[in-house]
Amino acid sequence: MSVKADSIWTESLDKIKLWARVNSPWAIHYNSGSCNGCDIEIVATLTPRYDLERFGIKLKGSPRHADVLICTGPVTRQSRDRLKRIYEQMPDPKFVVAVGSCATSGGVFQGCYNVVGHIDEVIPVNAYIPGCPPRPEAIIDGVVKLLTSLLPAKAEK
Amino acid sequence: MMSTEVALQQAEQLLGQYAKDTAKPEPNRLDVTIEGSDLTAAATTLHKARWGYLSALTGVDLGPEGEAIEALYHFCEGAAITTFRVRLPRSGGAVESLHTLYPNAMFYERELLEMFGVTVTGLADTSHLFLPDGWPDGVYPLLKDVDAQAAAERASASEPPEMGRQGDKFIVPIGPQHPALKEPGHFEFGVDGELVTSAKVRLGYVHRGIERAAQERNYVQNLYLVERVCGICSHSHANAYALAVEKLAGVQVTPRAQAIREMVDCLERIHSHLLWLGVAAHEAGFETLFMFSWRDREVIMDLLERLTGNRVNYSANVLGGVKFDVSPEIAADIRKGLDTIDERTRHYLHVTMDDTSFLQRSRGVGTMTQAEADGLGVVGPVARASGVRRDIRTDAPYGGYAQFPVKIVVDAAGDLAARFKVRMEEIFESSRVIRAILDGLPEGELTVKMPRRIPAGEAISRFEAPRGELLYYVKSNGTDMPERVKIRTPSICNWISVLVKAVGSQLADVPPLLAGIDPCFSCNDRMITINRPGRGRQILTWEDLRRRAASHTRRGTLCVR
Repeated sequence: MSVKADSIWTESLDKIKLWARVNSPWAIHYNSGSCNGCDIEIVATLTPRYDLERFGIKLKGSPRHADVLICTGPVTRQSRDRLKRIYEQMPDPKFVVAVGSCATSGGVFQGCYNVVGHIDEVIPVNAYIPGCPPRPEAIIDGVVKLLTSLLPAKAEK
Repeated sequence: MMSTEVALQQAEQLLGQYAKDTAKPEPNRLDVTIEGSDLTAAATTLHKARWGYLSALTGVDLGPEGEAIEALYHFCEGAAITTFRVRLPRSGGAVESLHTLYPNAMFYERELLEMFGVTVTGLADTSHLFLPDGWPDGVYPLLKDVDAQAAAERASASEPPEMGRQGDKFIVPIGPQHPALKEPGHFEFGVDGELVTSAKVRLGYVHRGIERAAQERNYVQNLYLVERVCGICSHSHANAYALAVEKLAGVQVTPRAQAIREMVDCLERIHSHLLWLGVAAHEAGFETLFMFSWRDREVIMDLLERLTGNRVNYSANVLGGVKFDVSPEIAADIRKGLDTIDERTRHYLHVTMDDTSFLQRSRGVGTMTQAEADGLGVVGPVARASGVRRDIRTDAPYGGYAQFPVKIVVDAAGDLAARFKVRMEEIFESSRVIRAILDGLPEGELTVKMPRRIPAGEAISRFEAPRGELLYYVKSNGTDMPERVKIRTPSICNWISVLVKAVGSQLADVPPLLAGIDPCFSCNDRMITINRPGRGRQILTWEDLRRRAASHTRRGTLCVR
């Protein structure tokens, strides 16, 4: 009996956690070598025209508070270890979104001597948003798609 | 300001005794070949005569066959450029540092050291400037026969220190990931209570190696590469590069294309200044102003998108002209958008100049006198807010700026408030110029045919980007790939002012001070410097600290005693 009660309890708790996670993910942004183009578009998503916060998404200052890591730019040698460290500091479960052509493929900086490569050569990536830079709408769409992918039941309906 | 011919004649006279050879590659340029041993003496002569400022230092590797490296010191006075050409051996070359005369030389020289292996004597700090901390010794990535990629595989990065005491100092580290920074940089501020006693910065987190990459791509590919030096002033980079290459090819762009380029430049300046206003307001704690200015910036972003098809990296330039035309419908939309911008900017000017709580964070913060600004060699709105009349658009009008001139905006106050004022006034000025261009847009073709191979030679183009003077040096060897592209971005000139001004100020004033120069890391990523106050250690009692805190908060008029 007690076993069943426990599983009901954990199942409902998981449901609540998933509901909270999908409805209010906290994000952190790190530029590991970007030209700034994607970064200003990410900041633009927070401002009144695009207003990312209406999806419950909030940009946080500390990786320890964040669920989603939004990465821009290719990874340079100087920032590689810092990117890994930020990823490791985030609590599980964590998601990584690579924003822009450089973050997804290295872009124009492919082959530059101080560039290690794209983001998923250093840390695992859950969503890729291509574009140089992607429009704010595309960034929001990417993040929202990532979040809805966490709800498999909803997708089947 | 003296005319270009007079300035060049004067420079030629001054440098006569040191010159082994002189040449005039362009009407506004004087090349003086000097011995490495005469460098300090020659620079001192220019400095004493107050002839211009050191604008950039370019290293050029002449390759294993040339068996030499050339160090080019570019001094600018108005439109005139005097270049010292110093020939050095490819290994074991040495020059004296000029940083006592020109503080900015420190950064340029460390770049020379790190990229070409030229020893610079008299340089206090010789650690890495743009390369990662674990970069292998003896590998200089801009030497032509060096396989930088292979060397880079062996490089690693070391982590900056944790917050805490270092000897007798308490260090507050900021970055590389920090809520106040949208780009990575690492700062260490030594503090004594709330007072900043030392400042240090380590950049290079976004150094990608663009100058080397530019040598391995052709001229057309490079146009798109340099556009991605910086996403905020992408047009400035592409335009400055295109100007240099067109100069080398001897191609004259049509007046219509020049006017359209100038218009995009003005639109870019407006969006960049509004972006800056938001970021600076955010750093000072005025979140609403940040949201408002970014909302209004969208008006310009929409116009840029309609004109060019992209919001950020517009790719407006092609070598030999521009990609798009301005139709009457778009022109009408631009005018309408500018009306909104003008009205909103008047409001922002009112907020930043009249709001007491705002002025408490900006008036008298980081004040730089004209002499200081001139001596430090700062550029752009930061220099103009200190009363230095330095603006390439008026000093050496390029492209369309001869036909549609701008008025220089200067303010003598030199503090953070003045930097707000200068940038806001520049928005009005840019908007006026765009209207003038729309009224008198010359007829003609958009592009001129460019040769694929560019004739051998070298060209310098100077461009007033939103953050200040941008300098491109392009050397061609007659093929379809440049031999050397040197990019000197405005942010690198302005960093020194933050480091000097942070020392002695309150820690809480540091974020707005940092934002005040509108730093662009992806542009300049190339330096580290240490700055210590001239005074010795100061011991403060609790009572002193309390009094200081009280007097600091009393500074503004809002506080009731």
